[in-house]
Amino acid sequence: MIQLRKRGLMAAVICSEAFLKLGRAQARVFGVPDLPLILIPHPLGGLSLAEVQARADVAVPQLVELLGERD
Amino acid sequence: MTSLQHLLSLPGASLKAEDDLDRINALCLERGWSDGLPIVPPTVARVERMLEYCDRPWDQPIAKIPPRYGAATPLRLAANAVMAGCRPEYFPLVMLAIEALAEEPFNLYGVQATTHSCSPLLIFNGPIAAALKLNAGHGALGPGGQANATIGRAVRLALVNLGGSSPGLGDMATYGSPAKYTYCTAENALANPWQPLHVERGFPEHASTVTVVAAEPPHNVNDHESTTAEGVLKTLAGTVATTGVNNINNRLSEPVILFGPEHAATVARGGYSKQDVKEYLYEHARVPLAKFSDQNRERRLRVTFPERFATAGLDAMVPMCQSPQDYIVIVVGGAGKHSAVIPTFGNERSVTRALKRRDGTFAASVDDVRATQG
Repeated sequence: MIQLRKRGLMAAVICSEAFLKLGRAQARVFGVPDLPLILIPHPLGGLSLAEVQARADVAVPQLVELLGERD
Repeated sequence: MTSLQHLLSLPGASLKAEDDLDRINALCLERGWSDGLPIVPPTVARVERMLEYCDRPWDQPIAKIPPRYGAATPLRLAANAVMAGCRPEYFPLVMLAIEALAEEPFNLYGVQATTHSCSPLLIFNGPIAAALKLNAGHGALGPGGQANATIGRAVRLALVNLGGSSPGLGDMATYGSPAKYTYCTAENALANPWQPLHVERGFPEHASTVTVVAAEPPHNVNDHESTTAEGVLKTLAGTVATTGVNNINNRLSEPVILFGPEHAATVARGGYSKQDVKEYLYEHARVPLAKFSDQNRERRLRVTFPERFATAGLDAMVPMCQSPQDYIVIVVGGAGKHSAVIPTFGNERSVTRALKRRDGTFAASVDDVRATQG
């Protein structure tokens, strides 16, 4: 993701809320502090298909917004 | 060689503090430079004594420690070794362990940041471990041995202070582990009926090595009754085979079997080589698919190992690793009818590394890697 971002491509990491601090810190460490993080509720493991779908519903609008920013 | 005074005068390299143990400890806790236990203040004099056992430039990183990717220079490592309570002669083993952890197959980023409870287990082999009195006998996993306690702690402090693996930030372990304070031992060479670990891995007997494994704390295996090799191995296999360990559903798994000397003697007396032990465990330490929850079976095992289980019936047996060779078999400890099973992270491979002189030959003592400049 970092490499894609550095090359000017749109790239984002999907991150559950519990991992937000680690995600932000890693983006800073790798020199891309503005790397977009698409935030979804924690957890990611042990979910039913409907719960996975609900997380996708949270993630997709954030992705659409990111792509809009690019235009 | 740049002088220590010069290196310490660089921005951020050192700080002035009042000569007060309580205040220095309070400062370290406040800044997160701590495992929570009191530290020994890394004064210039103490750090300098530590660096007497370092033959590398003090400001050149020997590794970068994730997830922060902080530069592990001998100077910084020496400060952490002082804080951990290391004697200066232990320092070459601290540096050796850090170099081993930083090798690519070990996946130190994953080991540091995972929600799993693993911590690097340091297993030392060879003459230097014995010379430094690393405890390989009674209580070899602690407490009590100064070398075991402080070398392992120095590595942990470096992982936290240089790598940024603070709980909930760079270390996302759900509940952590007591083994994250220190996890350092040596093979009991005198009680080992088999090839030592470093020789098995291609090093000469006279080499001194560390093997690093991302490991859970040990789970005891009590067998006071078996009089045969097969009896002891059956008890061990029964203890290894459980559904909830990382080893059963990750391809890189290398479960550690820590034999107490008495169990090792019984098994060796029955004619079992170390390879025979590994093959026995690989065949017998298995869990039937029926024992797993529906979701673990369908979403994890069938998907991770399609060649074995995509269409397998519920009576198919799941091994704890992918080949007999993946078992790490060591002999550690003193008297008693106990051994241990040590499950591992499963997303890394263990690494063995030898202590060498600058000319590339194996060090015979820590005096071989003492400072030649300063």
